[in-house]
Amino acid sequence: MTEGRESMMRVAAAVAAISCVLGASPVSAETPNDPWEKFNRSIFRFNEGADRWVVGPVAKGWDFIFPDPVENALDRFFENIRFPIRLVNDLLQAKPLAAAEDTGRFLINTTVGVAGFFDPAKHWGLEGHREDFGQTLGVWGVPPGPYLVLPILGPSSPRHVVGRVADSAAAVYPYFAFFWVSAAVTGTELINYRSLIDDDLTAEREAALDFYVFQRNAYTQYRENQVRDREEDESDSSDDLYRFDDGQ
Amino acid sequence: MLRIVAALIIALSWIPAAGAVSETSAGTVAVGSPEGQAREVVEKTISEVLGVLRNPELSHEQRLSAIETIVIGHFDLYTMSRYVLARNWKRFSKEQQDEYVSSFRQYLSNNYGGRISRYDQFGVDVTGSRSESNGHVTVRTVVVGGEFAGAELDYRLQPKEGTWKVIDVKIEGISMVSNFRDQFKEVIGSGGPELLLQKLQEKNAAPASFDD
Repeated sequence: MTEGRESMMRVAAAVAAISCVLGASPVSAETPNDPWEKFNRSIFRFNEGADRWVVGPVAKGWDFIFPDPVENALDRFFENIRFPIRLVNDLLQAKPLAAAEDTGRFLINTTVGVAGFFDPAKHWGLEGHREDFGQTLGVWGVPPGPYLVLPILGPSSPRHVVGRVADSAAAVYPYFAFFWVSAAVTGTELINYRSLIDDDLTAEREAALDFYVFQRNAYTQYRENQVRDREEDESDSSDDLYRFDDGQ
Repeated sequence: MLRIVAALIIALSWIPAAGAVSETSAGTVAVGSPEGQAREVVEKTISEVLGVLRNPELSHEQRLSAIETIVIGHFDLYTMSRYVLARNWKRFSKEQQDEYVSSFRQYLSNNYGGRISRYDQFGVDVTGSRSESNGHVTVRTVVVGGEFAGAELDYRLQPKEGTWKVIDVKIEGISMVSNFRDQFKEVIGSGGPELLLQKLQEKNAAPASFDD
């Protein structure tokens, strides 16, 4: 309990510090905010190497052992155990309906869906809400800050990092499992997901003119869209996008 | 991140093209209004491509070329290509512009056309539409069934010669125009229009080997 409180306080302090630093750097998908590009590209190269020599081959082995339905079931399982994180963030973003739907999904999928390996709730019209604390901060008006590439984990931002740390405090199982269990869960999830998208990743890597820029742009747009929940208008950035003169 | 890549791939694979149109599109949009017309175009595109994919008589190559024809008919690839370059367009000579537009089309076709066969069991529902401030209309769709169920695809359309043409596709909020713009900007920034044309040519000469 004390540990939990301490980590929450550290997170609060970090949020405050980061908000100050980033306050003056608005980001739009059209003007990449990437002052750390040199550092980021070196981590990106490391990640590409790790993917080529370690993560990718392990994922291929994984894919060879397990059929796709098993991998998809595992993917749903990981989704299900992240329920506490989604619930907390639904509430922090003042979305009671989403909180109710996610709770209903968790109850149904954990029981009828056999510990979350299946998703009967979806067939009954209950859709999940992929909220996390990084998005919550975005909803609260905290800017994402510069683009940041993390080792192994890939594209991120200071806001996203803070969100991940806060979310790990809301995940329940690490409190009663050993460290290596959480590490194994995270590792398994990564490998499982990597194997599910192996073909697409390979094709996209081959197709891109600059895969680093492809990732950066896709990540930035994707996170912005998640924060907006696709609902609101796309503000000024979309007007800039559909102009022959770039709006600059 | 991986989810993002997966998501983008679907968008670039013209997936919409592969689905069934639901009769129950959400919202009440008057037939003949700009939004209604734009929706019709999207629904027509989807059902045309669906017809091709579900036609057992066609070979893989015949399907690809049929779908390319449909896409060319309903997309304004010239305008899309221009939006991608944005102000860099002016740095290209007339000949370079023409070469760029045809190379870019070839690039899209090579890299994404081959993947459509994976999506023939999917459906796509039109879930809504929105008029944009600059006269464009966004038509929103969602993938039904298959491994990408729930993926959100938005089509942006622009009026042209009495009808509506698709000028951008967004998947899970990721705009193709924006993504290519960033990549091309980087290339043009380091080596000018010549380098972009050269890189597209290289990619086109060795197309991604993806078809299953």
